[in-house]
Amino acid sequence: MFEGLRNIVTKEVREMIRDPRILLGIILAPLLIFPLMGTTIRISTEAVQESIKTLSVAVVDLDKGATAQNLTDFLESSPNVTVVTIDAQNIDEIAAAVQNSNVTAVIIIPENFSQNITNGERGDLRVYGVFREGGIAEAVTFSTVQSLLESFKQSLIYATVQSKFPDNPDVVLDPVNVSQRTIVKGKPVDVNPSVLFTFAQAQFFGLPLALFMLIILAMQLAATSVASEKEEKTLETLMSLPLSRFTMLLGKLAGSTIVAAIGAVATIVGVIYYMGSLTFGAPTPQPPIDLGVSGLSSSLLGYAILGMSVFVSLLCALALAVVVSVFAEDVRGAQSLLGFVYTPLLIPMFVLMFADIQTLPLGLRIFLLALPFTHPMLAARAIYTGDYTMPILGIVYVTAFTLVVLYIAARIFTTEKILTMRLRLRRQKVKREE
Amino acid sequence: MSFAVEAEELVKVFGNIRALDGLSFQVKAGEIYGLIGPNGAGKTTALRIISTLLLPTSGLVKIFGHDVVREASEVRKLISYLPEEAGAYKNLSGYEYLQFMGKFNSEGRDHLKAMVENASKISGLGDRLKDRVKTYSKGMKRRLLVARALMNKPKLAVLDEPTSGLDVLHAYHVRGIIKQYVKEYGVAVLLSSHNMLEVEHLCDRVALVNKGRIVAEGTPTELKVKHKAANLEEVFAEVAGLV
Repeated sequence: MFEGLRNIVTKEVREMIRDPRILLGIILAPLLIFPLMGTTIRISTEAVQESIKTLSVAVVDLDKGATAQNLTDFLESSPNVTVVTIDAQNIDEIAAAVQNSNVTAVIIIPENFSQNITNGERGDLRVYGVFREGGIAEAVTFSTVQSLLESFKQSLIYATVQSKFPDNPDVVLDPVNVSQRTIVKGKPVDVNPSVLFTFAQAQFFGLPLALFMLIILAMQLAATSVASEKEEKTLETLMSLPLSRFTMLLGKLAGSTIVAAIGAVATIVGVIYYMGSLTFGAPTPQPPIDLGVSGLSSSLLGYAILGMSVFVSLLCALALAVVVSVFAEDVRGAQSLLGFVYTPLLIPMFVLMFADIQTLPLGLRIFLLALPFTHPMLAARAIYTGDYTMPILGIVYVTAFTLVVLYIAARIFTTEKILTMRLRLRRQKVKREE
Repeated sequence: MSFAVEAEELVKVFGNIRALDGLSFQVKAGEIYGLIGPNGAGKTTALRIISTLLLPTSGLVKIFGHDVVREASEVRKLISYLPEEAGAYKNLSGYEYLQFMGKFNSEGRDHLKAMVENASKISGLGDRLKDRVKTYSKGMKRRLLVARALMNKPKLAVLDEPTSGLDVLHAYHVRGIIKQYVKEYGVAVLLSSHNMLEVEHLCDRVALVNKGRIVAEGTPTELKVKHKAANLEEVFAEVAGLV
């Protein structure tokens, strides 16, 4: 049996890797598309950053007071900001003057602005953003102007507070010091909960996406593997060989898994490059979290359980794909049929990216737990919480589910159904034509 | 005497269609036996049952004494089946295809090597065996498949339209190979064909099949004499009630 299995697996992998559709679509495309996307975004980001360097703001000072002058001075002293002074009085004239210039925003300082501020009243500023094409660069540069004005407001507040409380203006402005810690597994730990939540969300977001891609790839490959045997008219010959049908089935599942794993690695490499491109120019990254301090460090057992959970789910997906592909006459038909399987089986698992299963209504909870692809996601969370009861029960459930699907797949392979189902479809087609 | 094939009252029903309707025949060891008849006569269905791909609705088929339903795995060790519309894995080379298929019947590395060399001779494809199958013409692909079916010298070769898609020269070559295999290795051959003239020259005995039943059986000469016909085509036209 082992020799036959090895022979089938080698053939499957060789055939799939050499198939231009699979080589391009599953292995090369992710390696090219993600870096290309990343490079495009990086170039756009660089262009935006370049445009911020030449931020130009028009100031129309109708006030001529001290605070108005302070604002102009503040803007002029800000890095990369050029202040253009406009003497026009009428907004229509101002608008006509700036539309064809490189001015990002017009700040109009009305009369009595300085007087009102000095008297402790609210001063009005009118800001016009110049809309040209509505691109990202325009949006970013305008938000920079907003940030500059916010900083100016803060400086006014600070000056006012300082004049009344010269000894401790910082305390007056921020009178309560909030110290944040987290309780994990019944123990207090010296880590900000927001940091932990952000870390956990990143983990819970990444795994479902990677798992989703892996399962989709594997299902497509397994379905293609069976359907192409029909399409290329090789199935009958294969089935007449002295090879157990179960070995044939296992060979197809194993071959698809290997190629799907190669595709998944290619995708992950592409995504890592893509993510690397996106962090260009971003603020200094946070130092890595010491999970040991947080009490959420993952254990080898946790990873083993996650690996097992992913493996049985993958096997389940492959077996389902094989069963589905039996109903198709060719590869295109198999891919179309798979489309009906993805939606009900895979989409619900994304619910768990946004909600904790315990907080969901009972009906939805039961529905999600009945789906085999929910369980690896629960196992991923358990890695950090250390509560393995649910993931282990999940593995048992998914294994049982997979065995049932494998049994159905094996039954189809061991009977004539794999051939006659196509025959029936053909005959129905003939009847319709008649 | 153990027959290579013993089919008794074979019936196969697909929904409302009765593809085989009590088909019975025997093929002796070392004999070339032909099933001939028009499209839809049931030839391919019979060959698929014999090759363990389909189950009979009723009736019995034994291959060298092994029941095709209860002892399917034993039967698969004895036969080699060439479907009419068979294809080969297009992304493998001819050699890789032969090696892949040969491994299921090989008794070791040397045996496999001998089988592939044998197939290389039968196919006559030479260096083109190094190229991927997707670059082959229809005729080249058929020669590769015929070579695959015969390379392990099976006890029974089940060949559905073996010369389908081959030009005159290559069809002649393949017929020669089939005859040679029967003579040298005692291989029994059960084949089907539309080409009655071809069958007349190749088969020791033939069965004329119509609507899932055998309407006449014997050696080509016997049938021609019995029906006072010049060839098997005329015999078939008479027994099928076409004239």
